[in-house]
Amino acid sequence: MSAVLQAVLQFPGAHSALKPAGPQARIAEGLWNSMYATAIVVFLLVMAALLWAAFRRRRAEEPAPDPARERRMRRVVAAAVGITTIVLFTFLVSDISAGRAVTATPGKDAIQIIVTGHQWWWEVQYRDSVPQRWVTTANEIHVPVGRQVAVELRSTDVIHSFWPPNLTGKRDLIPGNENSLWFQADSAGVYRAECAEYCGHEHAKMALLVVAQSPDSFARWLTQQRDTAHTPADSLTSRGQEVFLSSACAMCHSIAGTPAGSRVGPDLTHLAGRATIAAGTLPNTRGNLAGWIVDPQRIKPGARMPPNQLDPADLRALLAYLETLR
Amino acid sequence: MSLTVPAVPHEPGRAPESAAEVVGRLEDTWRARPGLRGWLSSVDHKSIGKRYIITAFVFFLLGGIEAAVMRAQLARPENGLIGPDAYNQIFTMHGTTMMFLFAVPVMDAVGLYLVPLMIGGRNVAFPRLNAYGYWVYLFGGAFLYVMFFLNTGPDTGWFSYVPLAGPEFSPGKRVDVWAQTVTFTEISALVASVELIVTIFKTRAPGMTLNRMPLYVWSMLVQSFMVLFAMPWVASASMFLAMDRLVGTHFFNPAEGGDALLWQHLFWFFGHPEVYIIFVPALGFVSSIVATFTRRPVFGYPAMVLSMVATGFLAFGLWVHHMFVTGIPQLGASFFTAASMMIAIPSGVQIFCWIATIWSGRPRFAVPFLFVLGFVALFLIGGFTGVMIASVPFDTQVHDTFFIVAHFHYVLIGGAVFPLFGAFYYWFPKVTGRMLDERLGRWNFWLFFIGMNVTFFPMHELGLLGMPRRVYTYLPETGWGGLNLLASIGAVTIAVSVVVFLVNVARSLRVGEAAGANPWGADTLEWAATSPPRPYNFAFTPVVESREPMWQHPAELPAVEGLRTDVREVLVTTLLDAEPDSRHRHPEPTIWPLIAAIATAVLFITLIFTPWGAVIGTVLLFLAFVGWAWPRGKDHQEQLMIEAES
Amino acid sequence: MTGFRIVANVTELPTTTFGHRSPMWWGTIGFIVIEGSTLFICAISYFYLRRNFLNWPPEGVFRPALTVATVQAALMVLSNIPMAMVDRAARRLDLRAVRVGMVVCTLLALVMCVLRALEFEALNVRWDSNAYGTVAWAVLTAHATLLLLETLESLVFTALLFSPNLEQRDLAGASDNALYWYFLTLVWIPLYAIVFLSPYVM
Repeated sequence: MSAVLQAVLQFPGAHSALKPAGPQARIAEGLWNSMYATAIVVFLLVMAALLWAAFRRRRAEEPAPDPARERRMRRVVAAAVGITTIVLFTFLVSDISAGRAVTATPGKDAIQIIVTGHQWWWEVQYRDSVPQRWVTTANEIHVPVGRQVAVELRSTDVIHSFWPPNLTGKRDLIPGNENSLWFQADSAGVYRAECAEYCGHEHAKMALLVVAQSPDSFARWLTQQRDTAHTPADSLTSRGQEVFLSSACAMCHSIAGTPAGSRVGPDLTHLAGRATIAAGTLPNTRGNLAGWIVDPQRIKPGARMPPNQLDPADLRALLAYLETLR
Repeated sequence: MSLTVPAVPHEPGRAPESAAEVVGRLEDTWRARPGLRGWLSSVDHKSIGKRYIITAFVFFLLGGIEAAVMRAQLARPENGLIGPDAYNQIFTMHGTTMMFLFAVPVMDAVGLYLVPLMIGGRNVAFPRLNAYGYWVYLFGGAFLYVMFFLNTGPDTGWFSYVPLAGPEFSPGKRVDVWAQTVTFTEISALVASVELIVTIFKTRAPGMTLNRMPLYVWSMLVQSFMVLFAMPWVASASMFLAMDRLVGTHFFNPAEGGDALLWQHLFWFFGHPEVYIIFVPALGFVSSIVATFTRRPVFGYPAMVLSMVATGFLAFGLWVHHMFVTGIPQLGASFFTAASMMIAIPSGVQIFCWIATIWSGRPRFAVPFLFVLGFVALFLIGGFTGVMIASVPFDTQVHDTFFIVAHFHYVLIGGAVFPLFGAFYYWFPKVTGRMLDERLGRWNFWLFFIGMNVTFFPMHELGLLGMPRRVYTYLPETGWGGLNLLASIGAVTIAVSVVVFLVNVARSLRVGEAAGANPWGADTLEWAATSPPRPYNFAFTPVVESREPMWQHPAELPAVEGLRTDVREVLVTTLLDAEPDSRHRHPEPTIWPLIAAIATAVLFITLIFTPWGAVIGTVLLFLAFVGWAWPRGKDHQEQLMIEAES
Repeated sequence: MTGFRIVANVTELPTTTFGHRSPMWWGTIGFIVIEGSTLFICAISYFYLRRNFLNWPPEGVFRPALTVATVQAALMVLSNIPMAMVDRAARRLDLRAVRVGMVVCTLLALVMCVLRALEFEALNVRWDSNAYGTVAWAVLTAHATLLLLETLESLVFTALLFSPNLEQRDLAGASDNALYWYFLTLVWIPLYAIVFLSPYVM
C-alpha cells in the first residue's frame, strides 16, 4: 500500500492527459500534438501578416484603394481562405479516423466493471456469474495491465464524469441513462481520476485511483477482495467491531461477514487495503482515518457523512478494527 | 449612385431656410421631461442605452470581483479562503453574471444606443418596449444580487444541469433564483432583438439599402435574429426547471420518465448560439474601428456580410459539441465536429479581410485600434482551441477542465471584451462629448493584454494536466499550484487594467478634451450628430447615397424635410431599398413601461414562493399594459382624419 | 455638426400603413417567432420524452377525451373568418365593421378560454403523475397562456375602439391583432394533433 501511496504522492504525472498510458489516451495525445503544432504555425503566420500589414513602411502619400490592387487582395484573401479550409478538412479526417479507433467496442474477454457515481465518492463493482463472487469496493479500481477493461457507468443521484486522463477521455455518469467506456493500461502504475462533471458541494474532492498491476497480482487482489472481512481476533478489535455495529457507522456502511449491510456509503470490507480515504482526498493513515471519522465536515464540508462523537477508547478500538480490514 | 425619393416636388439642393426654426421646434417636442419622474419615464434610446451600458458594466465589475475571489481561493492548493458553499455560489454567480447580465445585455445596450444613430433614425422602433426591456433587465439583475447577498445565490453553475439543479438535490430557493433571473434576462434580450430587427428593417435613412448598411448594423441584425431563435430555448428550459421544482412536474426526473439530457439539449441549443450572440456584435465593432483607423472601407463588404450571416446559421448546428461526453452516437458526433470546424471558416474570412484592409489602408494606432490588434491575437488562440475541442477524441480529454476555461475566456474576452473596450474608446466621445485619454488607454490595453495571457494561457496546461473545472480547491500533490498561482497573478493585472479604465473614464468626464461631432474622421452617420447627440438625433433625416456617407459628404449631408416637428414623428422606409414610405408617430415619455416591468418582477419573484404568484402577477401585468396602451388625448390632425372616414 | 442639404420632402407620405409597411406588423411577426419557438420546443420535448416510455400514454393512464378538444380546434379554425373580416374592414378604415367584428371575436376568445379549461380536464392525467402528463400539460399550458393574453388584449383593444380618443392609426392595430390571431388559432391545430390525437396512434 505504501508503494501505491508513494506513487500517487510523488508523481503529478499520474494525472495527466500528456502522459498517456493507454491506447485511447495515446490517440488523443497524438491529436493534440499535431493540432498544437499546426496552431502554432498558423498563429505565427497570421500574426506576421497582421503586424506586417499594420507596420509596413508606407509612402508618404499612400494611393487610394484602386481596383487593380483590390483584385489582387481578393486573390490573396481567397487563397488564405482556401488554405484554411484544407487545414480544417485535414483535421476533420484525422479526427474522424481517431474517433473510430477510440470508440471501437471492447473485445469479449474484457474485464467488466460497474462504476456508480455518488455524491461524492465512487462505488466500484466487479461482477461475476455467481453473485457470491461479486466484489464491491470504493474509490479504487484495480486492473490488469494489457487487458481491456469495459466500464459500465451509472449514477444514482446527479451527473458525474469518469476521467482517468492517462488512460482515456471522460464519459458522464447520468442517472436514467446507461453509459459505458473501455480503457486499457499498457504499463503498471497508479493513475488518478477526478470527477469531471460538477456534481455539487464536494465535486472538488471526488477522486479515484486506477491501479494497474500485473495479471497475477490483479488476480490475487480480486480473490482476496472476494473474502468476507477479517474476523476480530483480539479484544481490542472485537470491541472496535462492536463500536462499528452499534454506532452510526453501520447505518450507512457495509462490511461483508458482519450484520452491517447498508449501501448508502462506501463498502468497508477491505478498507485497510485501499490507498486513500474520503474519495482520494487523504492518504489512508490511522491519523487521517481518525480525523475523518470524528469530523468529516472539516475535511469535506457538505459531505454526507455526519460527525461522530466517540469516546477516545472506542475510537481507538474502532480504528484498530478498521485497520484489520485488509 | 442614384436615389429614388418618391416624394412631393422640391427644390433640389436648397438649403433649409428655417433650419434654426426646425431645430427649435424639435428641441421643444423631443425634450426630455424634467425631474426624477421624467428620468423614469424616458423613452429615448440614448438615455435607455446609456443606462443599459452602465448597468451592464456594473455587472461586469461584480462578475470580475467574483472572478478575483475565485482566483484568490485557487492561488494555492488547499486554500481556506472560502469553502465550497461560497465558492460554488460565486462561480455560478460569475458565469450567470457575465453571460446573462453582462455580455448579452451590453452588446444589446450598445446596439440600442448606436443603431438608430448609425442608420439616421430618431429612435428605436418601439421606444416604450425598449424602456420596458431595460427595467426588466435591471430588476432581474438586482434580484439575483439581493438574493446572493442573502446567501441564496444559485450554486449549480450557470448551466444548472439537472438532476443537480432539480428539486431533490437542490432544495431551497437558490436554483429558483437562477431560473427566474434567466427568465428576466431572456425577456429583455428578446425585447431588444425585436426592437433592433424592426428598427433596422423599417427606420433606415432613405437610400440606405441593405447593401449600404454599415457592417456594425449588419452584425446587430444577425445577432438579433440569433437571439430571436436561441433565447426561447433557455426560456422554455428554465420554465420547465422552475415547474419541476415548484409544482412537481417531471420534465427532467428520470424516475417518472423525464430525462436529464433533455435539459442539456435545450440549454445548449441556446447556449452555443449564445457565444456567437456575444461575438457577432464584436465583429461589427472591429469592422467599424478598422475602417475608421485605416481610413478606408473594410475590404470585402459582401464577404464580411455573408460571413456574419453564415456564422449566425452555423452557430445553431453546434450545440451537441457541449455534450460529446454524454455518450451520443459517433456518427452524430462527427456531424457536429464538422459543423464546429466549419464555423472557423467565416471567422477566417473576416480576419483575412481585416488584415487586407489594414495592409492597404493608412493605420493610426489609437487605442481603439490597439484593442482590435489585441483582439486578433487573442481570438486566434481561442479559435484554434475551439477547432481542437471540436474533435471528439481530444474533447473527451479536455472537456470540463481548465483547458475549456482557457478556451472560452480567449474567445469571450479576446473575441468580445477586447472589441468592446475598443468600442468604448471609439464611441465614448460620441456619447459624452469628450475624448478618453490615450496614454491611460495604452496602459489599459497593455495591462489587459498581458494580464489576459498570464491568467488564461496557463489554464490550457492545467486542463491537460487533469484539473477539472468548478473545483473549489485541489490537493498539493496534483502539482497544479504553480500554474494556478501564475493565473492568479494575471488576474490581478487584469483588475489593475480595469481600474485604469475607470480612472480614465472618471477623469475624462471632468476634464477630457472636447470631442466635436466627428473626432476620428469616421464614415458612418452617427458622426453627423452632435456629441452627445440631441434627443431627436438629426435635425433632418439624412439621405444615404453610399456605404460611407460621411466620407462622401463630409460637410453637408443630403437630407429630407417634411416630418412634423410639433409631435414626435419619424420616417418609415421600405425594407430592402429604404425608400421613404410613411410617417410614423412615436410615443411621448411615459412611466408605464416601468410600471409594467415592476408587475413583471412581481410575477416572477412571487412565483418562486407561491403558484398564486402567477395570478397576482398576471392581474398586475394586465393593468400595467392597459395603462400603457390606453390613448391619452388625441392628436388634432389624426382626429380630423378619422372623423372624415367614419 | 454636419450641415444638411434638403433633397426631398416627405410631407405627403401616409401616417397609417398596414401589413409589412407598418413597423408594428414586423414587431408582431417578431413575437410570433418567439412564441412559435416556445410552442415548438414544447412539441419536440413531447416527442423527446416519448422515447422513455414503452406505451404512450403509459400503463394505467387513459387516453385523452376528444369531444371538447375537437370542438375547440374547429372553433379556432372557424374564428379566422370573422377575424379576416376585421382585418379587411380595418384596411378600408371601416370603423363600424371593425367594432362589430372585434366584439364577435372577443366573445369567441372568451368561449375558447372556457373550452381550454375543460380541455385540461379532458387530458385524463395530472401534470405531476409522470412525464407524459407533464409534457401534455406543458403544451396545453403554453398555448393557454398565449390564448389568455390574446383574450385580454382583444378585450382592451375592443374597449379602445369605443374610446373617444381613438385615432386612425389605431386601426392598423386591428390588422396586427388579426395577424397574431391567425397564428394563435392555426398553430393550435398541429398541437391539438400532438396532444389529443397522437396518443391514439403512437
